[in-house]
Amino acid sequence: MKKGLCLFFIFVALLIVFPFFFRNPFPRHLLIMIMMYAVMSIGWNIIGGYGGQVTFGNAAFFGVGAYTSSVLLTKAGLSPWTGMAAGCVSSLVLAFIVGYPCFRLKGHYFAIATIAIGQIMMGLFMVWDFVGAAVGIYLPILPQSFRNFEFHATKLPYYYIMLAMFLFAIGVAFLVERSRLGYYLRAIKDDPDGARSVGVNIRRCKLYAFCLSAVLTSICGTFYAQYVLYIDPPSTFGLMISIDLCIISLIGGLGKLFGPVIGSFVFIPLVELTRVYLGSEGQGIDLMLYSLLMIAVAILRPQGLSSLFARGGR
Amino acid sequence: MRKAIACFCFLSLVLCLGAFHAHGAGKEIKIGVIYPLTGPAASTGHVLLEGVKLAADIINNRYNLNMPLAKTEGLPNLGGAKIVIVSGDHQAKPDVGMAEAERLITQEKVVALIGAYHSAVTATASQSAERYGIPFVNGDSTSPTLTERGFQWFFRTTPSDQLFAENFFQFLNDVKKKKRVETAPVVIFNENTLFGADTTKFMEKFAKQYGYKVAGLISYPAQGTQFTSEVQRLKGFNAHVLLQTSYVADAILSVKTFKELNFAPDAVLGNDAGHVDPEFVKSLGSEANYILSREVWALDLGAKKPMLKTVAEMFEKRTGKPMDGSSARAFTAMIVLADAINRAGSTEPAKIRKALLETNLKADQLIMPWDGVRFDPKTHQNTLGRGIIVQVQGERYYTVWPFDLATKDVVWPFPKWDKR
Amino acid sequence: MEIFAQTVVSGLLIGFLYALIAVGLTMIFGVMDIVNFAHGDYLMLAMYFAYWSYALLGIDPLYSLPAVTLALFVLGTATYYLLIKRIINAPMLSQIFVTFGLLIFLRGLAQFLWKADYRAVPHCLLSGSLHVSGVYIGLPQLVAAAGAVVCNGLIFLFLKKTRAGTALEAVAEDKEAARLMGINSDRMFALAWGIGIASVGVAGALLASFYYVFPEVGGNFGLIAFVVVALGGFGSVVGAFIAGIVVGLVEVMSGYLLAPSIKFIVVLGLYLAIVVARPQGLLGKA
Repeated sequence: MKKGLCLFFIFVALLIVFPFFFRNPFPRHLLIMIMMYAVMSIGWNIIGGYGGQVTFGNAAFFGVGAYTSSVLLTKAGLSPWTGMAAGCVSSLVLAFIVGYPCFRLKGHYFAIATIAIGQIMMGLFMVWDFVGAAVGIYLPILPQSFRNFEFHATKLPYYYIMLAMFLFAIGVAFLVERSRLGYYLRAIKDDPDGARSVGVNIRRCKLYAFCLSAVLTSICGTFYAQYVLYIDPPSTFGLMISIDLCIISLIGGLGKLFGPVIGSFVFIPLVELTRVYLGSEGQGIDLMLYSLLMIAVAILRPQGLSSLFARGGR
Repeated sequence: MRKAIACFCFLSLVLCLGAFHAHGAGKEIKIGVIYPLTGPAASTGHVLLEGVKLAADIINNRYNLNMPLAKTEGLPNLGGAKIVIVSGDHQAKPDVGMAEAERLITQEKVVALIGAYHSAVTATASQSAERYGIPFVNGDSTSPTLTERGFQWFFRTTPSDQLFAENFFQFLNDVKKKKRVETAPVVIFNENTLFGADTTKFMEKFAKQYGYKVAGLISYPAQGTQFTSEVQRLKGFNAHVLLQTSYVADAILSVKTFKELNFAPDAVLGNDAGHVDPEFVKSLGSEANYILSREVWALDLGAKKPMLKTVAEMFEKRTGKPMDGSSARAFTAMIVLADAINRAGSTEPAKIRKALLETNLKADQLIMPWDGVRFDPKTHQNTLGRGIIVQVQGERYYTVWPFDLATKDVVWPFPKWDKR
Repeated sequence: MEIFAQTVVSGLLIGFLYALIAVGLTMIFGVMDIVNFAHGDYLMLAMYFAYWSYALLGIDPLYSLPAVTLALFVLGTATYYLLIKRIINAPMLSQIFVTFGLLIFLRGLAQFLWKADYRAVPHCLLSGSLHVSGVYIGLPQLVAAAGAVVCNGLIFLFLKKTRAGTALEAVAEDKEAARLMGINSDRMFALAWGIGIASVGVAGALLASFYYVFPEVGGNFGLIAFVVVALGGFGSVVGAFIAGIVVGLVEVMSGYLLAPSIKFIVVLGLYLAIVVARPQGLLGKA
């Protein structure tokens, strides 16, 4: 335990000083993406890993978060931070609307339902003129400031904001793991009937987990919008985003606190590497690589790579 | 095992971070080129890149063409410095485009950027350029919003979808006069991603402006599995002219459906993209005949512009593929940029920008069917561009409009399916 | 009225095809409780095989159909022995990830081998259409629908009337009891995969005569297959057949009556409504 904590602090310290050793924007961008995907995967892990409900639709929350804050900014001039909170609210509403009826469904049905919902959201936003439909939303280039959540001269503020979000997500996961919710979720995953027989309200637990997942994903959506300053339905509601979150959690370790973190640190550089080196000849080699990794981990080491670091293990 | 994994992770992270190294300076001028080199539009991306590379070759070596920098080696005002292309792959993703632009600017130290085909990616990539104050020349993204952002460093040589939409109605008016036929009302059938959505807006605007009634409008989700219900509705509108915007898969499927449901308006007028994709005629064969489409460029223009023919032959010899609108526009973007850098006499971004604003190329210096290249001082949009209309005849494309550049007369109306 | 008839006919034609694609999926699930997320991508492979038979050997898709079907049968059994066998008893999560990984792998492979270009078979044996009392019926679509009906029928007969088929159903019912009766469940699973994927092979060869191929073509059809299977009930072949027709009709009708841009939303919405209201679908095992 002590050793784990030590390692964690060293890790965080490294993250904090990283930008001072790597001053070029590209490495900073890489780490921002790694951390962003880690946060979203931690969110996914709460419902998918701890709760055992595989969802292929979490990108919906990413998109909702991004669009809510962007629309509020472009139409009402609201600060993106307010927008971020509003995005969380919208995502919570969506999580509730989707989760309430759907958590009754068993594994496969639920998974397919989440794909359907993700695709419906994408389809809707493609034709909804108020949010720009297929054209998307160009965020206005405002003078850089914390309030405006835009920075132009350097990526540093983006980096530290994401780092804060990253630590926040880890904190949330930590609390979930230790709390009653986490305990119930594990029970539900291992033995749903048993859990029900001792009075656990399965639906409500899953709903809570799903809501947490939604919030964590939603704040990343707002961040992304402010980072790239342009959003459209394919880049925010895309199925591949949802799939990436699953892959990351799976690779790193389902239901483990640092699973998504490890997964993200492995997966995202892999994605970037294959693009840079195999870029012009790539044509699918990267897809084949991750899928093989995914299959290999699922078959050979379902507990994920984080089990390599664990002592004893569950 | 554990150590192996840890090493692998560490290694990939390090490789990633250390992978990008700036080349030495020297008598070379580095230009960053960002295109989709993997993913769904990869084949177009490669063709675009080849267009840029051919232009670089012509600039860097001596050729007897009436084109800026062709007759010299390299850029004369910079001591014969040669153009070096550094490419980046954006995979059709806006955030990757942004990252690649940044990488090229900060790690590879390019002096300007060219790209990116997909309008959504051009949006973010040019944003990076704007943030760093690096000129970005766009030769092939047609979304009008790109030049409405008030950017200082973004320049576009290709006409936008707005102009292209207007071309339709100019064409219809010309046909009406020449052939003494009724060309209204029209019906619009567009896909609903960015390209189709933008076009729909402008088609409606210019229809009104030119006094054409729009009998119906269908906006459909791209890549559907069948078009029966859509085509039935189209039939019900009883229009003279069908205006369609589709990518190749939908374009092919829709024509097959037209034949099956016996839908034959007086004209089927496509909007570039799918209707001029090589796969279109290849798949449909004779069923593609008499389809009209707006295009940006055509091989047969070489009959009236010999330089075009020469360059197209060079392209085919180099790549084994015929030149097309994409490669021609990418080629032109490179020429325009190099011409500006040469006139600037320096690789300083601000000077290049000033030179770009002063660009004034004439029609006979270009391989495009444009009147020239001159950028609007505010929006930086080339105001002298224009599109053409081609028609498939005998399973080949021929320019039919503007009438002074046409190589064949337009066949109007579209012959009925059973009369062929 | 004519237009209504046309819409119904088109919906039926595409619906039969959807049914065929879904039947394999539902069979695999029925026999061993595994959802093959990569199902649509086997369709994609079948279409490519049919296309290349034409492009390289000049064989029309209608004639290459038997070969394509056989090839996919082999592919299905191979997938079982190499991959699926290892996860028969694994937790559902692992099963989902493996078949999903397979989906991504197949798409990457297709992109690598054949690039992302759209390809279509230019001149097929079947082309043109019949004109029956104001309704146009595309010949390729008609043959595809007929082929789908025949194939569905064959599978149904196989399951009900042959020994191997009844053995399959027995294994689906109760694996242990079947084993006690001397049925080798391993071979049965392989057979289920073989037939399931082969049926997609038939669908692919039929589709190739009028639809275009590209690496992601499995996406839309795969998703529709899931909707059909869920609607019909996981495990029910008859259910898949009926549901396929329903989905085909719903898609075309909502495209005509509402708007083409939202017809997929209606189909997906239908799926959601059904599984929430009646999770076992029309005829599935609860």
